[in-house]
Amino acid sequence: MSSETAGAQIFDGVRIADFAWVGVGPNATMQMAFHGAEVIRVESSHRPDTFRSGGPRPSGDRTLDASAYFAKFNRGKRSVAINLAHPRGAEVARRLITSADIVTESFAPGFMSRIGLSYEQVRKIKPDIIMCSMSMEGQTGPHAKFRGFGLTLQATAGVTAVTGWPDRPPVGTGVAYTDWVATHVAIIGILAALDHRRRTGEGQYIDMSQFEASTLVLDAGVIDAANTGRVAQPLGNRDLRYAPHGVYPCADDHIGGDRWIAIAVTSDEQWRCLAQAMQRNDWLESADLCEVAGRFAAQDQIDAALAAWTAQRTVDEIEQQLQAVGVPAHRASTVRDAHEDPQLAHRNHWWRSEHPVIGELSYESPAWRLSDTPPPPPRRSPLLGEDSAYVYRELCGYSEAEFQQLMLDGVVE
Amino acid sequence: MAYQHTPSVSLYRVNTALSPYRVIDLTAEIGGLATMVLAGLGAEVIRVEPPNGHPTRRRGPMLRGDGASSLYWAQMNAGKQSVTLDLEDEADRERLRLLCETADFLFESDAPGVMASRGLDYDDLHERVPQLIYVSITPFGQTGPKSMWAASDLIGHVSGGLSSLCGDPDRAPLRPSVEQAYNITALNAGSAAMLALHARHLTGRGQRIDVSMQAAMANTLGNARLYWEMDGIITERAGGARAFANRATRIIYPCANGYVAFVRVPASMIRLHQWMTAEGADPQFDAQRWAGVAIAGDNLPTDEEISELEAEIEAFFRARDAQALYESGQGFNVMICPVNTMQDIVDSPQLAARAFFTEVDDPALGRLRVPGAPLKMSATPWRSGPAPTLGQHNNQILPALTAIPDTQEADHDR
Repeated sequence: MSSETAGAQIFDGVRIADFAWVGVGPNATMQMAFHGAEVIRVESSHRPDTFRSGGPRPSGDRTLDASAYFAKFNRGKRSVAINLAHPRGAEVARRLITSADIVTESFAPGFMSRIGLSYEQVRKIKPDIIMCSMSMEGQTGPHAKFRGFGLTLQATAGVTAVTGWPDRPPVGTGVAYTDWVATHVAIIGILAALDHRRRTGEGQYIDMSQFEASTLVLDAGVIDAANTGRVAQPLGNRDLRYAPHGVYPCADDHIGGDRWIAIAVTSDEQWRCLAQAMQRNDWLESADLCEVAGRFAAQDQIDAALAAWTAQRTVDEIEQQLQAVGVPAHRASTVRDAHEDPQLAHRNHWWRSEHPVIGELSYESPAWRLSDTPPPPPRRSPLLGEDSAYVYRELCGYSEAEFQQLMLDGVVE
Repeated sequence: MAYQHTPSVSLYRVNTALSPYRVIDLTAEIGGLATMVLAGLGAEVIRVEPPNGHPTRRRGPMLRGDGASSLYWAQMNAGKQSVTLDLEDEADRERLRLLCETADFLFESDAPGVMASRGLDYDDLHERVPQLIYVSITPFGQTGPKSMWAASDLIGHVSGGLSSLCGDPDRAPLRPSVEQAYNITALNAGSAAMLALHARHLTGRGQRIDVSMQAAMANTLGNARLYWEMDGIITERAGGARAFANRATRIIYPCANGYVAFVRVPASMIRLHQWMTAEGADPQFDAQRWAGVAIAGDNLPTDEEISELEAEIEAFFRARDAQALYESGQGFNVMICPVNTMQDIVDSPQLAARAFFTEVDDPALGRLRVPGAPLKMSATPWRSGPAPTLGQHNNQILPALTAIPDTQEADHDR
């Protein structure tokens, strides 16, 4: 960065009125907040973000400011309390939007329209606004108003059906998986729209269906079914192209659980290296096994032998021995392993943040590093309504007396 | 060289969001989805392939039984162009550098050091093409103790920690059977590239982006890592359930023709009771009591009480089809949804009503039915297009490159 722009942030001067809640929307706007956008979460203690009730939180503290899960998604933002159910709440929201560049929301379709804040209504007061709706299944269609969240949406979006063992019911990923897919589609779309506006002055409306966005990660599964009728099946940890390919038990335990190592042989060369490491001359001498077709045919026996071999060794030993000869191998990291992982530590992946209620804790950072415009450490996540006075007075233009009256009337809550 | 815009002028692109931008795509499997999304938003994405074709042209699934009709290629390269360059050959490497001079983004996914060995590293190009945004995507990142580790999609899953939250407790940690880690990483790279585009408006220069698959997957852990750091709890995989600290909540239930996903949250218990009653199921559970049961904290139900409740819900689901449960349950505002297979997605009435699928004429595969816009933009609509044949755009793109060195020589002489 040149000296004239040193200290400047990518989104200096960009303001987002963020009506979205829970995972996808807040995660998307947080990435822009990291780089200087002023993101204002529109909240209400009457109808708080579900994550404000989530965990973990300091022992015994049930207040809305104590959720570390909420904090994780809302660093770098401000919070204003607006009761949108109050007749004057929508007026406050309109004033806020007039000062904003981008509006994000993830209510069930129809809500924003009912309170007078649909895109058509909003563009009348702010013609070049960029508005992004991020509902479960989009603004139109017979299922538009169907409800859900990432834990169930991954089933709608096809991820659950291909996650499991062939002889058992599918299980899905155990986390709100699609939250981390749809969020990036939203970021890319919003930033493309912002770029378009910089060049043309034209705003627009983005209707993102979390369902549709999430199908992007199904690889070629959807295009295959659409054109051949083939339906991808859950394979356990096996792969359609590579063998052996699995997760195998180790001799050691982690604290409170079992230890596993993933091994993926993705070339014939890696197979020879694996066989040498295991001192399996019979495997090396088998012409069949030195080609992938032969290894597929013998997959059950290879997996059994591999599991017996790994079960005699610690996860550290196996990782070091196989990585030293170029065979893809890595422990099935627990959340503690991820927290302590030396590579993630090298990247300074977990950003520490101090919070008056939660205390000091580390949170994830982006999966990318920018060489020229790295973000400064983000502000902590806001308390509910922490920035109400600033937003009502400075951005919405209310006088102190009007602000006090709106508080008495229950609009600021 | 001064920063120059070289906007594309193809008519069909003028109403797309990223029409002024050119993207050079050198990625293997880990990055193709990022540039596919940029192509859908209107960027001119040029796949640079070796003369014998990108390896994923031979990757299944295939449309026909011929080993040369890859639907994977069709999906991941929709709307892109193709030129062939042999990066083992210095003359072609120079052509690539010249191509980069006309570009805004370069995406690559080679192991750290490989691009440098070809004279194509960020530092090599940045001086010559200061506007270029250089996106590197690798399993672990460009530097650090694991940066040279061998990896694959599976390694992405396990190294970020997601597998430890995924799978039945009595079997190994699990990954989804389609290559999620590569694709999630690619979408992260797309977000990062768009950030850098806006940074370029500020600084006038491109920059280097280092994307890590491990980090992308480590960001999918929900609240589980926080529970370790704050409470010392290691959340474990819990089968078809939400992996939530030490209190997993069941999600997957069998139904008459497959499975449905339903999470028992207090807020929905009264509506669930109403729905089951309306369907004539005569539910026995105490809706008021379950609506007041906190997921965490005091007064938690016993395991027996939970099993009894779940058995009653399961019996109700087992007598009905997934789609029928979806339609009728959602009518009662109960958060239930079907465990859709790929075929169910193709047949989805919701996707049909939104015209999600579209048709393209693929020059190699014929007419294909393809997934369309992952988001609908009112002013700059998504653009669907076929994947290119090998070297399809050589004649359009490559001849222009050979002329430039002479000009540069002339500039030097002056």
